Amino acid sequence: MRELAQLLNEMQQAGVIRAYALFGATAQMRYTEPVATFDADVLVATVDPARLDQLTDIYAFCASKGYHPDGEAIRVGVWPTQFVPAFSLLTEEALDQAVTVDYEGLAIRVVSADHLAVIALSVGRAKDLTRVLALLESGSVTRESIPVLAERHGLGQTWQRFESRFLND
Amino acid sequence: MTEVERLLQRQAAWQKSRTQLTWPEKIRIAEQMRDSLKQWRIQDPSATGPVQQSEGDR
Repeated sequence: MRELAQLLNEMQQAGVIRAYALFGATAQMRYTEPVATFDADVLVATVDPARLDQLTDIYAFCASKGYHPDGEAIRVGVWPTQFVPAFSLLTEEALDQAVTVDYEGLAIRVVSADHLAVIALSVGRAKDLTRVLALLESGSVTRESIPVLAERHGLGQTWQRFESRFLND
Repeated sequence: MTEVERLLQRQAAWQKSRTQLTWPEKIRIAEQMRDSLKQWRIQDPSATGPVQQSEGDR
């Protein structure tokens, strides 16, 4: 993960991406107990979001550093890494408001717990809903903080359905 | 409280205690879990795990 932090910071400094933040399971673990995952997911803001081949420059930069594709990901150290361009106002905001944390002496950007929960809510697969529950159980998000963010991104009803299904006695 | 309930209570407490680990420690545990899952899949391809590699766990 330290190797990935270094690569991401260099990629941003080189101007290949405007911003990045870890999300998905590796980010979740900052707030909850460890969970099983096979890869690391990185949300990125590319220089030209209108381009259809947004990932080309990222892949080229990685190749120049000796990191090559492994299926749909790029293997960075032990982590197959998937780069996901910000795909909504919610994910753009998640990038803007990501937090910079220390990872064994290196800075790395990580999506906030609230944004992680609401992104998971918006995706809505079983494992995503499990993530919302895990974040709630860890106390890193609350039943008050999620709906505020969810409502702002048109997910108010989605949250109500989730709450009714999983949280109401 | 039954023995099973005590077991579950201990397990819950242990799981909760892992929340207090540092993030790098949790990442290292996840790396070990992933290696174990990979071996499990090699030995029993029909076994269900958290995800297929191509799906990730976004």
